[in-house]
Amino acid sequence: MLIQALLILAAVLLFVLFLRRSHTARLQAFKRIGFLLFCAFGVLAVLKPDVMTWLANRVGVGRGTDLLLYMLTVIFGFFALNTYLRFKDTEKRLTRLARAMAIRDAIAPDDDLRAAVAEEAAASAGGRGVADEPAEGRGVALAQGGRGEGQGV
Amino acid sequence: MQDFQDVWLVIPVFNEETVIADVLAHVLRTFPNVVCVDDGSRDNSAARILGSGAHLLRHPINLGQGAALQTGLSYALAQPRAEYFVTFDADGQHQVEDVENMIGELRTKEADVVLGSRFLESAHEVPPLKKLVLRTIATVSGSSRRLGLTDTHNGLRAFNRAVAEKVDITQAGMAHASELVDFLSRSSFRVREVPVTIKYTEYSMSKGQSLLNGVNIMFDLALRRRG
Repeated sequence: MLIQALLILAAVLLFVLFLRRSHTARLQAFKRIGFLLFCAFGVLAVLKPDVMTWLANRVGVGRGTDLLLYMLTVIFGFFALNTYLRFKDTEKRLTRLARAMAIRDAIAPDDDLRAAVAEEAAASAGGRGVADEPAEGRGVALAQGGRGEGQGV
Repeated sequence: MQDFQDVWLVIPVFNEETVIADVLAHVLRTFPNVVCVDDGSRDNSAARILGSGAHLLRHPINLGQGAALQTGLSYALAQPRAEYFVTFDADGQHQVEDVENMIGELRTKEADVVLGSRFLESAHEVPPLKKLVLRTIATVSGSSRRLGLTDTHNGLRAFNRAVAEKVDITQAGMAHASELVDFLSRSSFRVREVPVTIKYTEYSMSKGQSLLNGVNIMFDLALRRRG
Protein backbone atom coordinates (compact mmCIF):
# COMPACT_ATOMS: atom_id res chain seq x y z
CA MET A 1 0.00 0.00 0.00
CA LEU A 2 1.10 3.49 -0.75
CA ILE A 3 0.64 4.71 2.82
CA GLN A 4 3.16 2.20 4.09
CA ALA A 5 5.74 3.45 1.66
CA LEU A 6 4.99 7.04 2.64
CA LEU A 7 5.22 6.37 6.37
CA ILE A 8 8.47 4.47 5.98
CA LEU A 9 9.83 7.30 3.89
CA ALA A 10 8.87 9.74 6.64
CA ALA A 11 10.66 7.63 9.24
CA VAL A 12 13.78 7.49 7.08
CA LEU A 13 13.65 11.24 6.58
CA LEU A 14 13.41 11.74 10.33
CA PHE A 15 16.43 9.55 10.85
CA VAL A 16 18.46 11.40 8.23
CA LEU A 17 17.55 14.69 9.83
CA PHE A 18 18.67 13.25 13.15
CA LEU A 19 22.00 12.23 11.69
CA ARG A 20 22.67 15.64 10.22
CA ARG A 21 21.95 17.51 13.41
CA SER A 22 22.87 20.76 11.84
CA HIS A 23 20.86 23.73 10.88
CA THR A 24 21.66 24.65 7.33
CA ALA A 25 19.88 27.29 5.31
CA ARG A 26 18.67 24.60 2.91
CA LEU A 27 17.10 22.64 5.71
CA GLN A 28 15.50 25.78 6.98
CA ALA A 29 14.01 26.49 3.54
CA PHE A 30 12.61 22.96 3.26
CA LYS A 31 11.03 23.29 6.66
CA ARG A 32 9.38 26.55 5.68
CA ILE A 33 8.02 25.11 2.46
CA GLY A 34 6.71 22.16 4.43
CA PHE A 35 5.01 24.48 6.86
CA LEU A 36 3.33 26.49 4.09
CA LEU A 37 2.05 23.31 2.45
CA PHE A 38 0.77 22.15 5.79
CA CYS A 39 -1.16 25.39 6.31
CA ALA A 40 -2.64 25.28 2.84
CA PHE A 41 -3.64 21.69 3.31
CA GLY A 42 -5.23 22.55 6.65
CA VAL A 43 -7.44 25.18 5.08
CA LEU A 44 -8.40 22.82 2.29
CA ALA A 45 -9.24 20.03 4.72
CA VAL A 46 -11.47 22.34 6.75
CA LEU A 47 -13.32 23.69 3.71
CA LYS A 48 -13.71 20.32 2.03
CA PRO A 49 -13.67 17.50 4.60
CA ASP A 50 -14.30 14.96 1.87
CA VAL A 51 -10.81 15.67 0.56
CA MET A 52 -9.37 13.78 3.49
CA THR A 53 -11.37 10.67 2.77
CA TRP A 54 -10.62 10.89 -0.91
CA LEU A 55 -6.91 11.27 -0.22
CA ALA A 56 -7.03 8.45 2.31
CA ASN A 57 -8.54 6.11 -0.23
CA ARG A 58 -5.93 7.11 -2.79
CA VAL A 59 -3.05 6.11 -0.51
CA GLY A 60 -4.74 2.98 0.77
CA VAL A 61 -6.14 4.10 4.12
CA GLY A 62 -9.76 3.36 4.98
CA ARG A 63 -10.88 6.64 6.56
CA GLY A 64 -9.83 10.25 6.41
CA THR A 65 -9.49 10.43 10.18
CA ASP A 66 -7.00 7.57 10.13
CA LEU A 67 -4.92 9.39 7.56
CA LEU A 68 -5.08 12.48 9.74
CA LEU A 69 -3.74 10.47 12.67
CA TYR A 70 -0.86 9.14 10.58
CA MET A 71 0.03 12.58 9.40
CA LEU A 72 -0.15 13.95 12.90
CA THR A 73 2.23 11.27 14.10
CA VAL A 74 4.77 12.10 11.43
CA ILE A 75 4.47 15.82 12.02
CA PHE A 76 4.86 15.33 15.73
CA GLY A 77 8.03 13.36 15.07
CA PHE A 78 9.48 16.21 13.05
CA PHE A 79 8.45 18.68 15.70
CA ALA A 80 10.11 16.70 18.46
CA LEU A 81 13.31 16.30 16.51
CA ASN A 82 13.42 19.92 15.54
CA THR A 83 12.97 20.97 19.15
CA TYR A 84 15.66 18.57 20.25
CA LEU A 85 18.15 19.95 17.74
CA ARG A 86 17.30 23.47 18.77
CA PHE A 87 17.85 22.62 22.41
CA LYS A 88 21.22 21.08 21.69
CA ASP A 89 22.23 24.17 19.81
CA THR A 90 21.09 26.49 22.56
CA GLU A 91 22.88 24.41 25.16
CA LYS A 92 26.10 24.66 23.22
CA ARG A 93 25.84 28.42 23.00
CA LEU A 94 24.94 28.68 26.65
CA THR A 95 27.99 26.64 27.57
CA ARG A 96 30.24 28.91 25.55
CA LEU A 97 28.74 31.98 27.13
CA ALA A 98 29.09 30.64 30.66
CA ARG A 99 32.67 29.58 29.93
CA ALA A 100 33.57 33.01 28.62
CA MET A 101 32.08 34.61 31.73
CA ALA A 102 33.86 32.21 34.06
CA ILE A 103 37.22 32.86 32.44
CA ARG A 104 36.66 36.61 32.30
CA ASP A 105 35.79 36.73 35.99
CA ALA A 106 38.52 34.35 37.11
CA ILE A 107 39.88 35.00 40.56
CA ALA A 108 43.57 34.22 40.90
CA PRO A 109 44.86 33.68 44.43
CA ASP A 110 46.56 36.82 45.71
CA ASP A 111 50.29 36.78 46.21
CA ASP A 112 50.17 36.73 50.02
CA LEU A 113 48.06 33.61 49.99
CA ARG A 114 50.28 31.95 47.42
CA ALA A 115 53.35 32.77 49.47
CA ALA A 116 51.71 31.35 52.59
CA VAL A 117 50.76 28.16 50.81
CA ALA A 118 54.23 27.82 49.30
CA GLU A 119 55.76 28.34 52.74
CA GLU A 120 53.52 25.69 54.19
CA ALA A 121 54.51 23.35 51.40
CA ALA A 122 58.17 23.97 52.08
CA ALA A 123 57.62 23.45 55.79
CA SER A 124 55.84 20.16 55.26
CA ALA A 125 58.49 18.99 52.82
CA GLY A 126 61.27 19.74 55.27
CA GLY A 127 60.30 18.14 58.56
CA ARG A 128 56.60 18.95 59.18
CA GLY A 129 56.60 22.41 60.72
CA VAL A 130 54.25 23.40 63.54
CA ALA A 131 52.39 25.93 61.38
CA ASP A 132 51.51 23.02 59.18
CA GLU A 133 49.73 21.05 61.87
CA PRO A 134 46.02 21.87 61.55
CA ALA A 135 45.83 21.40 57.79
CA GLU A 136 47.88 18.24 57.99
CA GLY A 137 45.55 16.78 60.58
CA ARG A 138 42.55 17.41 58.41
CA GLY A 139 44.24 16.00 55.35
CA VAL A 140 44.97 12.74 57.11
CA ALA A 141 41.44 12.51 58.45
CA LEU A 142 40.16 12.96 54.95
CA ALA A 143 42.38 10.30 53.47
CA GLN A 144 41.31 7.77 56.03
CA GLY A 145 37.71 8.78 56.47
CA GLY A 146 35.20 6.00 56.00
CA ARG A 147 37.36 3.94 53.69
CA GLY A 148 35.70 0.72 52.70
CA GLU A 149 32.49 1.55 54.50
CA GLY A 150 30.32 2.52 51.56
CA GLN A 151 28.90 -0.29 49.49
CA GLY A 152 26.47 1.20 47.00
CA VAL A 153 27.61 1.94 43.52
CA MET B 1 61.89 16.71 44.36
CA GLN B 2 60.30 17.58 41.04
CA ASP B 3 59.35 21.11 40.23
CA PHE B 4 55.69 21.38 39.31
CA GLN B 5 55.51 25.02 38.23
CA ASP B 6 54.56 23.96 34.72
CA VAL B 7 51.76 21.66 35.87
CA TRP B 8 48.15 22.79 36.14
CA LEU B 9 45.52 20.82 37.97
CA VAL B 10 41.95 21.29 36.85
CA ILE B 11 39.36 20.42 39.48
CA PRO B 12 35.67 20.60 38.64
CA VAL B 13 33.71 21.42 41.77
CA PHE B 14 30.02 20.99 42.35
CA ASN B 15 28.64 21.26 45.88
CA GLU B 16 31.77 20.06 47.66
CA GLU B 17 31.97 22.54 50.53
CA THR B 18 32.62 19.87 53.14
CA VAL B 19 35.79 18.51 51.56
CA ILE B 20 37.16 20.93 49.00
CA ALA B 21 39.25 23.03 51.38
CA ASP B 22 41.07 19.97 52.72
CA VAL B 23 41.59 18.50 49.29
CA LEU B 24 43.02 21.79 48.03
CA ALA B 25 45.25 22.28 51.05
CA HIS B 26 46.65 18.83 50.44
CA VAL B 27 47.11 19.22 46.70
CA LEU B 28 48.57 22.74 46.82
CA ARG B 29 51.40 21.49 48.96
CA THR B 30 52.81 19.73 45.94
CA PHE B 31 51.22 21.50 43.01
CA PRO B 32 51.31 25.30 43.09
CA ASN B 33 48.94 25.75 40.15
CA VAL B 34 45.40 24.58 40.74
CA VAL B 35 42.32 25.88 39.01
CA CYS B 36 38.92 25.03 40.47
CA VAL B 37 35.87 25.40 38.31
CA ASP B 38 32.85 25.89 40.50
CA ASP B 39 30.05 24.56 38.35
CA GLY B 40 27.25 26.63 39.83
CA SER B 41 27.42 25.12 43.31
CA ARG B 42 24.57 26.03 45.61
CA ASP B 43 26.68 25.70 48.73
CA ASN B 44 29.76 27.52 49.98
CA SER B 45 32.26 25.74 47.76
CA ALA B 46 33.38 28.98 46.11
CA ALA B 47 34.18 30.64 49.44
CA ARG B 48 36.18 27.60 50.51
CA ILE B 49 38.18 27.70 47.30
CA LEU B 50 38.84 31.44 47.61
CA GLY B 51 40.68 30.98 50.86
CA SER B 52 42.75 28.08 49.65
CA GLY B 53 45.27 29.50 47.22
CA ALA B 54 43.72 27.95 44.11
CA HIS B 55 42.42 29.84 41.12
CA LEU B 56 38.65 30.10 41.10
CA LEU B 57 36.43 30.11 38.04
CA ARG B 58 32.69 30.13 38.44
CA HIS B 59 30.09 28.99 36.00
CA PRO B 60 27.10 31.29 36.46
CA ILE B 61 24.86 28.24 36.03
CA ASN B 62 25.38 24.53 36.42
CA LEU B 63 26.54 23.04 33.13
CA GLY B 64 27.95 19.64 34.04
CA GLN B 65 31.35 18.17 34.77
CA GLY B 66 32.45 17.95 31.15
CA ALA B 67 31.83 21.64 30.60
CA ALA B 68 33.63 22.50 33.84
CA LEU B 69 36.68 20.51 32.78
CA GLN B 70 36.83 22.26 29.43
CA THR B 71 36.51 25.66 31.09
CA GLY B 72 39.35 24.87 33.46
CA LEU B 73 41.49 23.55 30.63
CA SER B 74 40.90 26.64 28.51
CA TYR B 75 41.92 28.82 31.42
CA ALA B 76 45.00 26.78 32.28
CA LEU B 77 46.11 26.76 28.64
CA ALA B 78 46.19 30.55 28.68
CA GLN B 79 48.58 30.64 31.65
CA PRO B 80 52.25 31.31 31.01
CA ARG B 81 54.57 28.30 31.14
CA ALA B 82 51.75 25.80 31.47
CA GLU B 83 52.99 22.54 29.93
CA TYR B 84 51.16 19.73 31.66
CA PHE B 85 47.50 19.48 32.53
CA VAL B 86 45.85 17.18 35.01
CA THR B 87 42.17 16.56 35.66
CA PHE B 88 41.51 15.77 39.30
CA ASP B 89 38.33 15.05 41.23
CA ALA B 90 37.21 17.38 43.99
CA ASP B 91 36.07 14.73 46.44
CA GLY B 92 39.53 13.64 47.56
CA GLN B 93 39.47 10.18 46.00
CA HIS B 94 42.66 10.75 44.01
CA GLN B 95 46.20 10.64 45.37
CA VAL B 96 48.76 13.37 44.90
CA GLU B 97 51.49 10.74 44.55
CA ASP B 98 49.67 9.26 41.57
CA VAL B 99 49.68 12.65 39.88
CA GLU B 100 53.42 12.96 40.48
CA ASN B 101 53.95 9.61 38.80
CA MET B 102 51.81 10.56 35.87
CA ILE B 103 53.66 13.82 35.34
CA GLY B 104 56.89 11.84 35.55
CA GLU B 105 55.61 9.63 32.72
CA LEU B 106 54.76 12.65 30.61
CA ARG B 107 58.16 14.21 31.23
CA THR B 108 59.88 11.19 29.70
CA LYS B 109 58.23 12.33 26.44
CA GLU B 110 57.20 8.78 25.72
CA ALA B 111 53.52 9.46 26.21
CA ASP B 112 51.27 12.40 25.41
CA VAL B 113 48.43 11.28 27.60
CA VAL B 114 48.52 9.34 30.84
CA LEU B 115 45.25 7.99 32.16
CA GLY B 116 44.71 6.65 35.64
CA SER B 117 43.23 3.19 35.99
CA ARG B 118 41.93 1.67 39.18
CA PHE B 119 41.97 -1.80 37.64
CA LEU B 120 45.59 -2.26 36.69
CA GLU B 121 46.80 -3.08 40.16
CA SER B 122 44.80 -2.34 43.24
CA ALA B 123 41.49 -3.55 41.86
CA HIS B 124 40.49 -5.10 45.15
CA GLU B 125 39.75 -1.63 46.50
CA VAL B 126 36.88 -1.21 44.05
CA PRO B 127 33.43 -2.25 45.20
CA PRO B 128 32.20 -5.24 43.12
CA LEU B 129 29.09 -3.73 41.55
CA LYS B 130 30.95 -0.60 40.58
CA LYS B 131 33.69 -2.74 39.10
CA LEU B 132 31.15 -4.60 36.96
CA VAL B 133 29.61 -1.40 35.60
CA LEU B 134 32.92 0.25 34.80
CA ARG B 135 34.44 -2.86 33.26
CA THR B 136 31.37 -3.28 31.09
CA ILE B 137 31.63 0.27 29.82
CA ALA B 138 35.32 -0.20 29.11
CA THR B 139 34.64 -3.44 27.23
CA VAL B 140 31.71 -2.37 25.08
CA SER B 141 33.36 0.87 24.08
CA GLY B 142 35.15 0.30 20.78
CA SER B 143 37.61 3.13 21.20
CA SER B 144 38.60 2.01 24.66
CA ARG B 145 39.35 -1.46 23.31
CA ARG B 146 41.44 -0.01 20.51
CA LEU B 147 43.55 1.83 23.06
CA GLY B 148 43.67 -1.17 25.34
CA LEU B 149 42.21 0.73 28.27
CA THR B 150 40.90 -0.92 31.40
CA ASP B 151 39.17 2.07 32.98
CA THR B 152 37.51 4.76 30.92
CA HIS B 153 35.79 6.63 33.70
CA ASN B 154 38.66 7.55 35.91
CA GLY B 155 38.73 11.25 36.73
CA LEU B 156 42.51 11.31 36.98
CA ARG B 157 44.14 12.12 33.65
CA ALA B 158 47.26 13.99 32.62
CA PHE B 159 48.20 15.33 29.24
CA ASN B 160 50.77 17.56 27.66
CA ARG B 161 50.15 20.85 25.96
CA ALA B 162 49.71 19.44 22.45
CA VAL B 163 46.83 17.28 23.63
CA ALA B 164 45.26 19.94 25.83
CA GLU B 165 45.13 22.30 22.88
CA LYS B 166 43.30 19.72 20.78
CA VAL B 167 40.85 18.54 23.39
CA ASP B 168 37.39 19.98 22.98
CA ILE B 169 34.90 18.52 25.40
CA THR B 170 31.42 19.08 24.05
CA GLN B 171 29.59 16.60 26.27
CA ALA B 172 28.61 18.82 29.13
CA GLY B 173 27.54 15.97 31.39
CA MET B 174 29.22 12.75 32.46
CA ALA B 175 29.67 11.32 28.96
CA HIS B 176 32.75 13.50 28.56
CA ALA B 177 34.92 10.66 29.85
CA SER B 178 33.96 8.42 26.95
CA GLU B 179 34.13 11.36 24.61
CA LEU B 180 37.75 11.91 25.64
CA VAL B 181 38.63 8.27 25.10
CA ASP B 182 36.96 8.41 21.73
CA PHE B 183 38.91 11.52 20.81
CA LEU B 184 42.18 9.91 21.86
CA SER B 185 41.51 6.76 19.87
CA ARG B 186 40.99 8.81 16.74
CA SER B 187 44.11 10.87 17.32
CA SER B 188 47.70 9.79 16.93
CA PHE B 189 48.59 10.73 20.51
CA ARG B 190 50.42 8.13 22.53
CA VAL B 191 48.18 7.04 25.37
CA ARG B 192 49.39 5.23 28.42
CA GLU B 193 47.47 3.90 31.37
CA VAL B 194 48.99 3.76 34.83
CA PRO B 195 47.60 2.20 37.97
CA VAL B 196 46.20 4.68 40.47
CA THR B 197 44.57 4.25 43.83
CA ILE B 198 41.06 5.47 44.42
CA LYS B 199 40.10 6.10 48.01
CA TYR B 200 36.46 5.15 48.24
CA THR B 201 35.32 7.19 51.18
CA GLU B 202 31.72 7.25 52.21
CA TYR B 203 31.63 10.78 50.90
CA SER B 204 32.90 9.97 47.43
CA MET B 205 30.63 6.94 47.23
CA SER B 206 27.62 9.06 47.96
CA LYS B 207 28.54 11.40 45.12
CA GLY B 208 29.97 8.93 42.66
CA GLN B 209 28.47 7.55 39.52
CA SER B 210 25.58 5.28 40.16
CA LEU B 211 24.50 2.29 38.16
CA LEU B 212 21.75 4.38 36.62
CA ASN B 213 24.26 7.01 35.67
CA GLY B 214 25.93 4.30 33.61
CA VAL B 215 22.73 4.07 31.62
CA ASN B 216 22.84 7.84 31.10
CA ILE B 217 26.40 7.67 29.90
CA MET B 218 25.62 4.93 27.41
CA PHE B 219 22.62 6.81 26.12
CA ASP B 220 24.47 10.11 25.70
CA LEU B 221 27.21 8.33 23.84
CA ALA B 222 24.90 6.45 21.53
CA LEU B 223 23.30 9.73 20.58
CA ARG B 224 26.58 11.51 20.11
CA ARG B 225 28.05 8.85 17.85
CA ARG B 226 25.36 9.64 15.34
CA GLY B 227 26.48 13.23 15.34
